[in-house]
Amino acid sequence: MASDRPPPPAVRPVVHRDVVCPFCGLGCDDLTVEEEPPSTLAVRSTDCPVARERFSRTPAAEPPRVAGVPVPLAEAVEAAAAVLAAAQAPLVAGLGTDVDGARAALALAGRLGAVVDHALSDGLYRNLAVLQRTGWIATTLAELRNRCDLLLVAGPDPAVPHPRVFERWVVPAPAFQAPPSREVVFLCGEPLDTTRAALSGFPITVLAGDSARVGDAAAALAAALPDPSRASGAAGIAAGDIAALAERLRTARYAVVAWAAAAFEGPHADLTVERLVRLVRDANRHTRCAGLPLAGHDNVVGVNQVCTWRFGVPLRTSLAGGVARHDPHRFDGARYAAVADAVVWVSSFRPEVPAFPADKAIIALAPPGTAFADEPAVFIPVGTPGIDHAGHVFRSDTVVALRARRLIDRGLPDAATVLTAIAAALPQEASTC
Amino acid sequence: MLMKLAGGRIHDPANGRDGAVGDLFVRDGRIVADPGPDPGPGATPDEVHDLSGRVVMAGAIDIHSHIAGGKVNIARLLMAEEHRAAAEEPCGCGVGIATPSTHATGCRYARMGYTAAFEPAMLPSNARHAHLEMADIPLIDTGGYLVLGNDDLLLELLASGAGEDAVADYVGFMLNATRSLAVKAVNPGGINAFKYNQRRLDVDENGPFHAITPRRILTALAGAVQRLGIPHPLHLHGFNLGVPGNVEATLDSIAAVDGLRLHLTHVQFHAYGAEGDRKFSSSAARVAEAVNRRPNISVDVGQIMFGQTVTASADTMAQMSNTGLAHPKKWVMMDIECDAGCGVVPFRYRDKAFVNALQWAIGLELFLLIEDPWRIFLTTDHPNGAPFTSYPELIRLLMDRDYRLARMAELHPALPEHTILGSLTREYSLGEIATMTRAAPARILGLSDRGHLGPGAVADITVYTDRPDRRAMFEKPDLVFKDGRLIVRDGVVVSFLQGRTHVVEPAYDAKIESWMARRFDERMGQRLTHFRIAEEEIRGGTGLIRHACQPGPF
Ligand code: SF4
Repeated sequence: MASDRPPPPAVRPVVHRDVVCPFCGLGCDDLTVEEEPPSTLAVRSTDCPVARERFSRTPAAEPPRVAGVPVPLAEAVEAAAAVLAAAQAPLVAGLGTDVDGARAALALAGRLGAVVDHALSDGLYRNLAVLQRTGWIATTLAELRNRCDLLLVAGPDPAVPHPRVFERWVVPAPAFQAPPSREVVFLCGEPLDTTRAALSGFPITVLAGDSARVGDAAAALAAALPDPSRASGAAGIAAGDIAALAERLRTARYAVVAWAAAAFEGPHADLTVERLVRLVRDANRHTRCAGLPLAGHDNVVGVNQVCTWRFGVPLRTSLAGGVARHDPHRFDGARYAAVADAVVWVSSFRPEVPAFPADKAIIALAPPGTAFADEPAVFIPVGTPGIDHAGHVFRSDTVVALRARRLIDRGLPDAATVLTAIAAALPQEASTC
Repeated sequence: MLMKLAGGRIHDPANGRDGAVGDLFVRDGRIVADPGPDPGPGATPDEVHDLSGRVVMAGAIDIHSHIAGGKVNIARLLMAEEHRAAAEEPCGCGVGIATPSTHATGCRYARMGYTAAFEPAMLPSNARHAHLEMADIPLIDTGGYLVLGNDDLLLELLASGAGEDAVADYVGFMLNATRSLAVKAVNPGGINAFKYNQRRLDVDENGPFHAITPRRILTALAGAVQRLGIPHPLHLHGFNLGVPGNVEATLDSIAAVDGLRLHLTHVQFHAYGAEGDRKFSSSAARVAEAVNRRPNISVDVGQIMFGQTVTASADTMAQMSNTGLAHPKKWVMMDIECDAGCGVVPFRYRDKAFVNALQWAIGLELFLLIEDPWRIFLTTDHPNGAPFTSYPELIRLLMDRDYRLARMAELHPALPEHTILGSLTREYSLGEIATMTRAAPARILGLSDRGHLGPGAVADITVYTDRPDRRAMFEKPDLVFKDGRLIVRDGVVVSFLQGRTHVVEPAYDAKIESWMARRFDERMGQRLTHFRIAEEEIRGGTGLIRHACQPGPF
């Protein structure tokens, strides 16, 4: 017998369109994300594994904890301030946060005289070290998309950390080129199958040399530029292939050399970057060529921007004594963690945090559901920029900042609010200048 | 609260006061009219500052200073040695001399009596960054000039034969979307041509891709600015920056706009002749004469001072050719987002180098030969010519001929025969300094309630002790008020507050947006809605000050 009661209203997913993805620094702002009550998010418009995974992790809020015991936020903030007020050598690190979170973290670090660093600045520093030593010629994503006729991908496929890099920035037809043409060369790195598929309409060359020696290949290319016929082989790539590529670089109209330095192997990966930068510089004696250093998960690029403008120096800086002292070696967060007595770890983009040495007082700001090897002194669950609250993140190319918006409300505070509250709970001192 | 600033010598050129003794009254952050002999209830001052014998001016305004945005941060990164070595005051301000941190920028400007400074090279794609950064500069107001003229979309629009209306709509949209105060053109067409490996582009030469001449871009933008009624005229970084003989292009630009208003920025770098045995000579007199004759033209100087600095410019075409002069030997070039570019080259100006000495003299010649202090502005193009902290020294050079001559005598020995500087007797008066650094910048930017001390003006006020050593006087004002609050006393910042962001919001036909949205999707890989900067993004939604546009025919 048919019921005469109306059917229950279908639970319609809320659909968010044109969502900005804050996770890998590629700045995709075209995502369709479905929200199923209560607050489950699913990316529908792309297969990007990073976006799919990160958006989908939205467990319900949980209360802060002090020494493992759930407490109200205000109490956790007080406890964090008490720990930090007693610290002699604090470290403010992780720094996976948006611009506002970075401002608040750096302000707190300034009050504490702490050392500041981002969890992912290793990859960043391979590039920054070269920028600081020699400078470079670089470009941005829209220039790549619209002007590049020869893309040289150096080292491991950057689509591993930045899954949509080819789809969004290489596949669309160049608009400011006549006639439009584009080819892609992989140097000392194998493209993923997905990359090959994305680039199926383009001429592709794979020069699969030793990926640990991509710097040697770059040096050989640079040496061959003045006279390709005198090229020598390098990194397992034959002299003839180096010669042909050098010739292509010389005659390209706008070549782009792209790399993801975080994936380079070896202890001195910055030297690999330096050789790529030199290759770009030398190619500009003949034509136009620009580098594209790809980096930028967890807004490391944006946090470094804020640190640089706020203190005049980039990350890996000590603020002890109210003076900003930058030393990329001494104040590398991983290294400094060994001597720090308290660590503020901010990780609002991901629930993975490292295991800290047992004797440290850890104040962790991270998403709910974060698993710790050892329970931190204070854990304060925070929202994720672009999911729980709006926030600014920088694209990998350092130029474009995007505003990621809020999608759901799990009742989680943002990192900036918590960090500002901790700073306010510290013993006050007069500010002068 | 009513505050009385009693008995100071007021230099307020906008209101015709040139050193007359008087009182100022401030209520709720603004200057109010003299409450009169019978103050009445509420008019008894709660706070009185006795300023007898002291000099009172509005807060100073810097119309051209690279204080924020991507190129400034690259410059900071590149100046790592300086930033590592530089001593700083232990106040958490951060480091940097040529490229100070945001906090140091705000503090140093405020301590010199400045209450506003404007970033003159905000690229559309980098505008959000520039605003985020400007919001972290304490104490002073800021704003940005939007760089157009090498953006592929505009060049495409022009090449398609779009009319003046469409160009104005495009410019109007871009100003609104990026929360800008004015339009700047940097080597129009040249930066774009550089992306096609062209290392120079003549004013009447078609660009390599879009088939548009620099002259067309220049006149289109100057026209659009006038059509939209933007208070500040097109702010032009001209052609062939730093190249001997570039005065011809500068004079040609003045002629090209044909009576439209035009502001030539850092004109010192564009006033070079190619005469003499060194093929480098001063053409300051020719530029000054052209400016003196044409009331539609204004300039800022971009004075160079000696020492280490870093040059940061969107003009990659010019900067690339300067890379051989980098000191230390490292530099950064960037092609940016089909908008423009960025070139950062560290540089050391040496007083014993002939070229640098003559550049110094050319800047001063321009200051002294251009007659109207309402149309010439005190800048070093910070940090390109020198850090902005050298303004007090520059003011002394303008106000004190003996000092100027003494300084000149220390420079390269061949200098005197190549400059007329020694014969120029002009000394700026306090009133002229007040015009050039306060009243005129406010007027040319359309900031109607700044830069003066009349009723209704924002109480941005600087008080000096009148010292014969003008450098000492302008280096360290006694008191600086921002929005009626005391922020600096005797050179020390005594309270912090946040400045605001000045913008214009010209009206335009929204039809242009669908054309742009398509272009953004297809080319920029960005949705137009995300490109647009929301009001809440500017200083947390509390920062905007809007200035009226007066659109009209031209
Ligand atoms: S490529 Fe990067 S920015 Fe784009 S959707 Fe994937 S994670 Fe997000």
